[in-house]
Amino acid sequence: MKLERLVKPYYDALEEGKVLARRCLECGAIEFPPHYACNKCGYHATEWVELSGHGWLKTIILPAPTTDDARLKPYGRYGFGEVEFDEGVTTNVVIYGITPKKRKVLRERIANGEKVGVHKKIVDLGGYKGLHFELDEGE
Amino acid sequence: MEYNSMTHSRIGRYSRSVSIFGVGATPFMDINDDPELEGLTEGEVFGCAAISAMEDAGIEPRDVQYFYHCSANPAFFNNCVTPNMQVAEWMGMRGRGSVHHSEACCSGYVGLEQAVMAVASGTYDIVLSGGAEMATGLPDGTKPACFRRRITTDDIYPDLVKIGDRAYARSIIGGMNVGSDNWLDLYVRTYGLTDKEIDDTLNQMSYNGRRAAALNPLALMRTPFEDLAKEVGIDDPMEYLRSPYNPKVSQYLRVTGNAPAADGAAAVIVAPTEMAHLFKTKPIEILGIGASCLEFAVPQLEMQATREATRQVYEMTGVKPEEIDLLLINDFMLGSQLLAAEEVGYLPRGEGWKYVLEGRTAFDGDKPINSSGGRTSYGHAFGASGMADVYEAVIQMRGEAGAHQVKKTPKTTFLRGFGGGQNVRAIILRTAE
Ligand SMILES: [Zn+2]
Repeated sequence: MKLERLVKPYYDALEEGKVLARRCLECGAIEFPPHYACNKCGYHATEWVELSGHGWLKTIILPAPTTDDARLKPYGRYGFGEVEFDEGVTTNVVIYGITPKKRKVLRERIANGEKVGVHKKIVDLGGYKGLHFELDEGE
Repeated sequence: MEYNSMTHSRIGRYSRSVSIFGVGATPFMDINDDPELEGLTEGEVFGCAAISAMEDAGIEPRDVQYFYHCSANPAFFNNCVTPNMQVAEWMGMRGRGSVHHSEACCSGYVGLEQAVMAVASGTYDIVLSGGAEMATGLPDGTKPACFRRRITTDDIYPDLVKIGDRAYARSIIGGMNVGSDNWLDLYVRTYGLTDKEIDDTLNQMSYNGRRAAALNPLALMRTPFEDLAKEVGIDDPMEYLRSPYNPKVSQYLRVTGNAPAADGAAAVIVAPTEMAHLFKTKPIEILGIGASCLEFAVPQLEMQATREATRQVYEMTGVKPEEIDLLLINDFMLGSQLLAAEEVGYLPRGEGWKYVLEGRTAFDGDKPINSSGGRTSYGHAFGASGMADVYEAVIQMRGEAGAHQVKKTPKTTFLRGFGGGQNVRAIILRTAE
């Protein structure tokens, strides 16, 4: 195979507000974050695809003394959780707009089958950008 | 939601049966400020565990053909790389072939897997595998190994980040920080536990573990919760465990739900089962070891990797969950003990928490788990902990565990190794006929 950079283009795209992933050339699964091969089916080749940066919140964990990340403080209250991208891939991310009270309400709504939307919030983590999320409905 | 965004594999049978013939372990200690222990080094604790394992088997260092050495992170804790030929000097094995490996808190379980494969392949007959970690301190600058200083959270948190993928996971952050909370949260949501029910369940596991550790001379934390409660004027140890004396440090886990660091080492000797006549102990056969590893960004990685490794080992060995007499789970985050016990089929799904609350999973219950005290009471010498669990399994299976011996001597033991970012092993041991 051809030697190709995937990590640098991923971060370069975040600088422009875009979220890049790969798509499996055999099974079509989205590979996020971007890697050469498909981790769903084990096929060796993928191609670039741009994601919408929108998804659905599945779970919420609150930060606590052993898990809080001080770098995120400037961007507001947040939680950790699983987000399923509109394109079908699920990953563990940071979601802004989560407070203990909000978590309780959102958990019940998700348990009742409601889809809680989130969208990309690209934050500066000290010389580079990271892909985080925020609630569509705000805090 | 379906969690299945990974590839799957099968494991085959070993080319020849392999058994454990010797085990050795140091206590899990805190050497700081202890005049009897201060200044102990990695080479000494590894050498002690290794030579103890040889003594147990009835062999000498000259009989061991090859060895594996592991620690979670020798660059950080020991200021060195590839320490295997360094520890060889401590046990009369200068010049022998060896490997150093690091899979963080899963290292010891991986060490058993590698040693078994080396023997099963026919390459070597007698192999030692051991782990050592001096995890309560750090090297003191460039001074010799006996000079150490106590480790602080300011030292360890920047280092913990290193178990996440540097290309992506550290910038996405989420998976790095959900830890065991994510799996506990799924359990609570799936089975509808109240906040009090899950908190009581976790506290009961702390309590069960400490009862065993109090009776285990190798354990680090041996003061019963009854005594700790009385010191602050509380009569009921469970009330103490849910009090501000034991605050929450993550969404679900309290202080007692996280393993305290320890200094220590453990080692095993493995050889072909058919060579039992060479050793003075009865063989404990390694029936199989399943393996799965998942990066932090993968949702529910501990659950998925445990499921995958467990399926592999059951398929290969034909062992059924109901045949397991003793379960050892690497539970440095305490929730793993319950969650993995259900995942490997040792406790019924959604019901395990009731078994815990009824005391049935305590070392003297009918479904014993972590009879040594578990990571949160036995202590956690990261890279050595897995091998310490193998040690515990073997002494229990021989009926030699003394005051913390489980009620029915186990014939079949299941070990669930876990650690790093994240490695999982599912190991089944059985007393050979
Ligand atoms: Zn594919």
